[in-house]
Formats: sequence, structure tokens, C-alpha cells
Amino acid sequence: MMAKKTINIPLGSQHISLLEPVKFKFECENEKIIAVDSDVGFVHRGIEKACTTKFKYDAVGYVVARICGLCAITHSLTYTTAVENLLEGELTLKVKYLRMLVAELDRIHSHMLCLSHTAENAGFEAMFMQIMGDREYVMDLQRLLTGNRVQFDYISIGGVNRDLSSEVAKQIKINLQIIKEKVHEYIDEFTNNWSLSLKYKDIGTLSLDEAYTYNAIGPLARASGIATDIRATSDYLPYDKIGFQIQTATKGDIHSRNMVRLNEILNSIAMCENIVDGLPDGEIQTKFKGKPKGESIVRLEAPRGELMYYLKGDGKAMLNRVRIKTPTFACIPAFSEVFTGSNYADAPAILASFDPCLSCTAK
Amino acid sequence: MINRITTQLSTVKNDIEKFYDKKVWHFLTLNGVKLDESTTEIQWIFSKYNNDDITMFYTNVKQDEIIPSITDILPSAIMSQREIVDMFGIEVEDSEKGLYLDEDSEQMPLSSCGI
Repeated sequence: MMAKKTINIPLGSQHISLLEPVKFKFECENEKIIAVDSDVGFVHRGIEKACTTKFKYDAVGYVVARICGLCAITHSLTYTTAVENLLEGELTLKVKYLRMLVAELDRIHSHMLCLSHTAENAGFEAMFMQIMGDREYVMDLQRLLTGNRVQFDYISIGGVNRDLSSEVAKQIKINLQIIKEKVHEYIDEFTNNWSLSLKYKDIGTLSLDEAYTYNAIGPLARASGIATDIRATSDYLPYDKIGFQIQTATKGDIHSRNMVRLNEILNSIAMCENIVDGLPDGEIQTKFKGKPKGESIVRLEAPRGELMYYLKGDGKAMLNRVRIKTPTFACIPAFSEVFTGSNYADAPAILASFDPCLSCTAK
Repeated sequence: MINRITTQLSTVKNDIEKFYDKKVWHFLTLNGVKLDESTTEIQWIFSKYNNDDITMFYTNVKQDEIIPSITDILPSAIMSQREIVDMFGIEVEDSEKGLYLDEDSEQMPLSSCGI
């Protein structure tokens, strides 16, 4: 019988499995992780402070978009919705539809990035490259629609900055059809590939009770069986009109998280197609009057889960407080719980399956 | 719609324990809003899993007071408790400094009386 030996192994702050500044310190007993310590504070940028001292409220939407290159749209959309709550004005239905369109395109490419990294960290380099290559179809659509691949600056107070032309609408439908076919191939591969199943199935499990206890959100929670998604409950965007369907699983392992994301991509594609087919007529900008006064909390569903903005203003151009709660930051204790009891060799694939965003966390 | 509930440092843990049902509510964040040089409004914000309801417990805290920890009720609160310690320089029970700043840093970036 092998003697028990306890060793400490760090993962990060720079690690081949996650090129972002986070450090997990694992205490391992032979192969098994028995305790975890995390450190996320390597590159804090002071954006909350900058939003109340350096930028007026109408510029903050463009500042917070720089928090993250992957969910820039959701950051600017959540902030803009929160500040619109404190002003006088009303959005057109067309603006709401266009905002949902970019939010869902953002979700598709973000989920594809996560799936590719999860494949890479399970040792399936070819799958990583295939998904990253296919992801370009979405990046192209974002560029055509907003003018940029990554930092879009598409959302503005009272509207959006570009209309959807008929040529771009046609291209959206073509590219989404291609991605849809690819996603069905991924589902087959992720479900039936024997070597991947060894790396994903029953690995890195977060039970339903643990998900509640550690306040899991986003795909992490939905893969464990909690039917929570802001798109299902929020009044700010009419997701009920475009075919939103919540995606859940029950086992809470890496495979379940992969399946939730894959099914969400398919649902996002369907919603984008419905938006393009049923885009209402109307203006893409309306005037919002006044200066932000009062308190506003808005939550929207980012690709990694619930994103919250708290704003407080007193009728001046500078806000008193901007508080940002990002999904990864909130889920760090849940991550530690999943790591504990897992094999160290599985840690990179487990970490990738969380889809952590340290850019958001170190806001 | 935010349901604001006033609380006190001496009772907040008890108030949250009575209110919190982990299958109904989830903890959004611990937030601080500077009111004047020496006072910060501390907010414990919760949202419902299945609708848009938000409940906020809040109280005013002086710079030298100690905020009780709620991590034995809500383990995930540790992250935002440590954030408050770093950003506002207010002590929170069982929450060490050094999430973002150095452990011996004297800075408190979101406190207007900070360095």
C-alpha cells in the first residue's frame, strides 16, 4: 500500500492551462487535492474608482466595456440599463432586439472559447483548434454588426450605435447556419468520444446542494440542476418574445457544463435567427433626459452568469458609486469546493470548465 | 424594485440567518457606499433565483467599527468581505486584508478619507 504523502502544488499565477493571472494553491495527498487556497488579486485595475472620479456617467459605459474582452457587450449593456433606470426616457423595441442580438452573439463566441479550452486541457488539441477556427464565423458577424471584433462600443445610453443592414442580416443567417451544424458535431464528439469521457464524465462534480450552498450562478449552477438564468426573469429585455429556453443538466460534472454551454449556443443561435426575422421597425436611438439620480441595481446574464451593476447618483454628471459584481468573482468559493477531492491531474480541465474570467474578476 | 431593510451591526447576522433560504435567495454581494468622511453605508444584497426581486440589508458603519462575518451562513460571502476590507479599509471579522492590495498596504481606494 502506497504511503500517504502531502505536497503543495501551485496552479498559476501563470499556468499553461489558463493564461490569466490567478493562483490556486493545492494541498495534495498523493494524487488527491485535499485543500485549496486561491489568489485572484494580481492585476486589480481600480475601474470602480475610475468610474466615479475620472469619467462622467455618459462615458462610463465605454469604460466598463474595457473590463473584459469576452463579455464587453454585457458589461456595457448592464451599466447602460442601470443608468437608463435613473434617467427619463424609453427605449424602442428595435433597440431592445438589437441589444439582445449582440448579447447572444457574445455568448456564442464566449462559450465556444470555453469549450475549446476545455478540450485543450483534456489533451484534445485538434478539437481546440477546430472550435477556435469555427468561432471566427461569430467574430466576423460581430465585426460586421458593430464595427469591431472585440471592443464593440455598440451600446449607448438610449440606444445602439449602428443599425442592422439587410446585407449583414443575410450574413448573420448564413454564418449561424454553419455554426449550428458545427455545434451538432461538437455535441456528438463531447458525448461519444471515449477518451474525452474519461476526462469529463463524473469529474469535477458540483452537487446541487453544494451549488446552492456556494451560491453558484451561470452555467456552473445550471449544470448542477439550478434553473437560474436572468434572461428568464428580467424585465429589461424581452427574451420571452424570441424563444429563450433555459438549459440545465443534473450531474454537475465537466460533461454537464459542456452540454449546458453547447445547448445554450444552439438556443442563442435560434434566438438570433428569430431577432433577424422579426426585427421591429423603429429608431435606434432615443433621447434620455436628466442626470442620474437615485439608486439602481441591474442584473443581466453574462456568458459566465449573473453580472450586477449597482449605481448611485445625486443628479450630477459624476456618479457617487459604481459597484460591479462579476460572475467569476462570485464563484471562486464554489471552484475551490469542486477542486477539493479531485485528482490533481484533472485540475486543468476542471478549471477550464469553470470558464473563469480573471479580467472581469480583477476589475 | 429594491426592498431595503435597515439593520444594525449587532443584529445583522441574526437578521440574515432568519431571512436567508439558500434555495430561494442567493447572495449577490456586500457593497459599500461612502456617505461622508467617516461613515460608510454597508449593504448585504440578495436576489431571488426565480424572479427579479432584490432585498438589501443596510446599516451605517464608522471607519473604526468591525463588520461581522456572515461566512458561516454564506461561505461565498468571503470574497466580497475581503474586497470591502481592501477597498474601504473597514475591518470585517474573519476576512484578512490582501485580496487585491498588499497585506501591509495602508491604501483604501474607495474610502474618501483614504490615502
